Formats: sequence, structure tokens, C-alpha cells
Amino acid sequence: MIAVFKRELKSYFLTPLGYTFMGLFLLIAGFFFSYGNLLPRSPRYAQFFGNILFIYLIAVPLLTMRLLSDERRLKTDQLLLTSPIKVSGIVLGKYLAAFSVFLITLAVTVMYAVLVGIHGDLAVAETIGAYLGFVLLGACFISVGTFISAVTENQVTSAFFTFFALLFIWLIDLVRQIVPMDLTSGLIFAAVAVVAITVYFYMNTRNLVVAAAALLIGAGAVTATFFLRQEFFLGIMSDVLDWLSLLARFGSFSLGILEFSTVVYYVSFTTVFLYLTVQVIEKRRWA
Amino acid sequence: MVEVRGITKRYGPHVAVNDVGFSIGKGEIVGFLGPNGAGKSTTMNILTGYLSTTEGEVTIDGMPILEYPEDIKRKLGYLPENPPLYVDMTVTEYLKFVAQIKGVAKKTVPSRIAEVLETVKITDVRKRLIKNLSKGYKQRVGLAQALIGDPEILIFDEPTSGLDPKQIIEIRDLIRKLGENHTVILSSHILHEVSAICRRVMIMNLGRIVADGNPDTLAIQHSPTGQLIVTVLGEGEKARATLADVAGVTRVTDRATEETGAVEFVLDTDGDVRPKVFEAMSSAKLTLIQMRVNTMSLEELFLQLTSGEQEVPA
Repeated sequence: MIAVFKRELKSYFLTPLGYTFMGLFLLIAGFFFSYGNLLPRSPRYAQFFGNILFIYLIAVPLLTMRLLSDERRLKTDQLLLTSPIKVSGIVLGKYLAAFSVFLITLAVTVMYAVLVGIHGDLAVAETIGAYLGFVLLGACFISVGTFISAVTENQVTSAFFTFFALLFIWLIDLVRQIVPMDLTSGLIFAAVAVVAITVYFYMNTRNLVVAAAALLIGAGAVTATFFLRQEFFLGIMSDVLDWLSLLARFGSFSLGILEFSTVVYYVSFTTVFLYLTVQVIEKRRWA
Repeated sequence: MVEVRGITKRYGPHVAVNDVGFSIGKGEIVGFLGPNGAGKSTTMNILTGYLSTTEGEVTIDGMPILEYPEDIKRKLGYLPENPPLYVDMTVTEYLKFVAQIKGVAKKTVPSRIAEVLETVKITDVRKRLIKNLSKGYKQRVGLAQALIGDPEILIFDEPTSGLDPKQIIEIRDLIRKLGENHTVILSSHILHEVSAICRRVMIMNLGRIVADGNPDTLAIQHSPTGQLIVTVLGEGEKARATLADVAGVTRVTDRATEETGAVEFVLDTDGDVRPKVFEAMSSAKLTLIQMRVNTMSLEELFLQLTSGEQEVPA
């Protein structure tokens, strides 16, 4: 894992990619710092992070687009996968390399905080909280990008889909407000979910019996829940979307509130996506 | 050492490898021969654990590859069809990385790199970026990559494809040398390459192994039985009559020859008649300049085995 990490980190700076990422990130960050803090002489530094969150939409696809897709395109994955290292080690090494580039870049912005601290009254706890939240949020987005680069074979496709995935996560809170909350739509949603899972099973196993069993179990579970706990279906769509709502949880960090549950949430989100990445790579060998 | 039992690989309805089984002993140099798309690369990818099988299993030194992937991968060096190179690195940087992921002990990495660079003769380009190297050098870096973990088994997929004749000869010599203390499995669609390097050939076609054995014996085994080619100097008519009289010769047919002043015949025979033919010619005072069993060349055998078969249905 360490060898993969080191090579990947180095390769960011052997290609223009690492510099492009850093340049873009710091350009936008510098711009917002100038306009948000320097020019209006505002010491409210934590607010700065709220302003530059959108940076992820552009910067993360750039950071992760070739992480795993290029290995496949250049067939170097044949070297990695026939070496005595675990797939989880490969994925983790690569993920940590991308994450480190992000951390190095972010470290430059600490200078802004110092600047504010020298010339004004820096809310230290608030700033640390905002940094922590920002880093955790970045960790989540980079894990999504890593996953997408594992399912694509082309940098451009990878960047494109990562952008849209992040955009979706971005808009989730808006979508949540408009999804219907009533019983009927909740039931329809559950039914669609069961059918989708069944199709997924069938596509993977090509086994009608397994698919039929999944369908029956799913339908049974929905029916049972309907009779036992009808209220479960009220607002189910909104609840599911809430699981994916990364941004709504960021708010408390920039207020200087450290919520343990949110930290756990961000870490779990990242873990799930990295786990899925490993699974995708493992599964491809069986395809 | 390498045991393959009934491996099958399906991609949807397409069968890439169909019920292939063989075993390879320590120190053998084995060549997979077959037209493009015969399943050679898929078989090699399965042997190295890059792909899994749909059915069947591979064991190396008695260990199934799925249960002991890491132990087995330590024993293998693999050069895939496209050498897996990180072109933005220098040769030394790249080999250092490969040595690390192959689990070479940290202290021995520099000496191991120097050794391998010397073996594949790329010491002079070790500081250059891989992307600036010629195809032949890239292929050698690929070979170096396969060797660096000091594996017992080397698997090379089309090791000479895309190289110029001089490079091909050099790589072949290198592989032959490696074969002295490694088990080598290589693939090729070039026939004389396999027969030049390997003492055992497996001919693959449409996902199956259609022949397995020593290249020379294979050709004899698959030859039309009981034909003898005889070349005699001068007097065609007398030679033909004498040959026809030899006991065991059932038919004498003329055969075109490029030898000046000589005639050539194909004899259909019943059993081995070579001593009798020799005696007959000798007592008739005819000069016998050549006599050989009519075997198919490996080329003809290859064409016969790999053509005119239907795609195996799933």
C-alpha cells in the first residue's frame, strides 16, 4: 500500500495534473479570501469555507479522474493485480495519495488564517472546526471520485460522471424539499427500489431463481411493513436522500460545533465508497 | 508445479477458454501457440490470477490460486501482452516500485535492480524516462519487471511482438537463458518462435488445447502415416523400378525436386522400410542422397489443427 501511495503521490507532480489541481484550488480560494476577508477587512474566516464549497465540484473530478481509470486503460492494473498485494491496499494507497494532494493544497490556505489572526481577531475554535469539516467533506467527495474512476476506463468519462455525481449530492437538499411525502408515493418508491435490486441481482448472477427469490423477499418485506408500520413509508424518499446529504451536515462545523455523529457519518460515507471501489475491482475479474 | 484443471472462461455467451487442462513441471519451457483470439492471453491472465475462471481451478505447488493469491503471486513473474509500464517514471524508479510491490526485501532492492538491469541489458538507459524509450527497450523493461521479484515461474505473453528481427533474436536468447533456471510459459502466434525456444508446445484454437507435446514429435504424430521421401541421383526409371520392388512399398509417386540431376519419390509403405530401401539401392548401385519420413512441418500441422473448425457453442 505504501509503495502504491508513494508512486501515486509522485505521479501527481510528474504530470500537470497535481499542479492544475493546486493552481485551480488556490486560485478560487485566493479569490474568495480576498473578496470575503481581505477587502472588506472581515475576520470571519470560517465563513470562507462556506463560500468555497463549490470548489469541490470542479476540483475533485480533476483530482480523481485518472486514479484508477488510467491503470485500466494503460493495462498497468495487470501489474498491480498480479503482484502480491491486496486490492484494498491498492485502492487505499491511491485514495490516500489523492487525499494527500488535497491536504497539501489546503495547507497553503492555513496562511490565510494566520493572516487573519495577525491583523484581526481570529475565532480559533471556529476555524479549526471549519477546517475539520472541510477536510472530512473533501474525504467523502474524493471517495466518490475514486469509486467512479474505478468503474470507468477513460479520464474524461470519469471526470464527467464524478462532476454529475457531486452535483447530485449538491442538489440533494433541494430535491429533498420537493419529493412527495405521502403514503402512496412512499410505497411506489419502495416497490421501484425492490425491482431495481432484483434487476441488479439478475444482471449479476443471470439466475432467475435468485432474482425471483429477491423479488419475493423484497415484496414480502414491503407488504409486511405496510401492515405493521405504515408510517414507515411517509417521507421515505426524503429519508433516503438524507443519507446522502453531505452538505447539510457541514453547517454545524463552520459554526464551530463538533458533532461526533457527523464525523462518524463522513468517515462511514468514505469507507462505504472505498469498499465499493474494492468490490468493483474484485468483481471485474469474475465478469 | 503448475496444475490446471478444466478451466473455462465465459464472457456472456462467448467462451474464451473452454475446458482447458494441463500440468507443467519444474524447469519446463512451454509455448502456447495459436491464432489471435485462440484464448492464449486469457489462459495466461487466469494463470497469473488477473482473471478468475468461470469453472475449473489453477493450483501452483499444490496451492489453489484463489485460496493463496499472495503466496502464489510471489512465485510468478508476468509480462502481459502490453508491458504494464508507468511511462512517466525512469526505468530505475519504475523497477524500484515494482520491487516494493513484489515484496523484495528493502535492503536488497538496489542490488536486485542492478542485477536485473544487467540481465536484460538495459543498464545504459536506467535513468531515462520510460516514455522516451524505443519499443524494444520498453519490452525489456517489461521483462525486467517480471524478473525483479525473483519468481520461479515466468509467464510471457507474446514477448517478441512488435520488435525488429535483431531484437527478437536477443529476446529469444534471453528467454532461453532464463529457462535454464526458471519455469517459463510463453505464448506466441509465430510458429518458429515457439519451436525455437520451447521443448513443449500447446496449440490452442477456439479456446481449446488441440495438441500438446514436443514440437518434433507433434509433427510426426499428426503426419499421414507410412510415407517415405527418397531422393536418388540420376537414372529415374531404374530407381523407380528398384523402389517398387522393395518389400513393403505399396506405391511409388514422383515428387518435384529442386536438386539438380536427382529424382525424388514418395513411397507409400507398410511399416518401416528404410533399411530395405537402403540395401536395394546399394545393390542396384544407385546413389541414395536423401531419405526421410514424410512428416508435416509444424506449420502444416498448425494450419491443419487451427482451421476448418466451428466456433464451440456455449
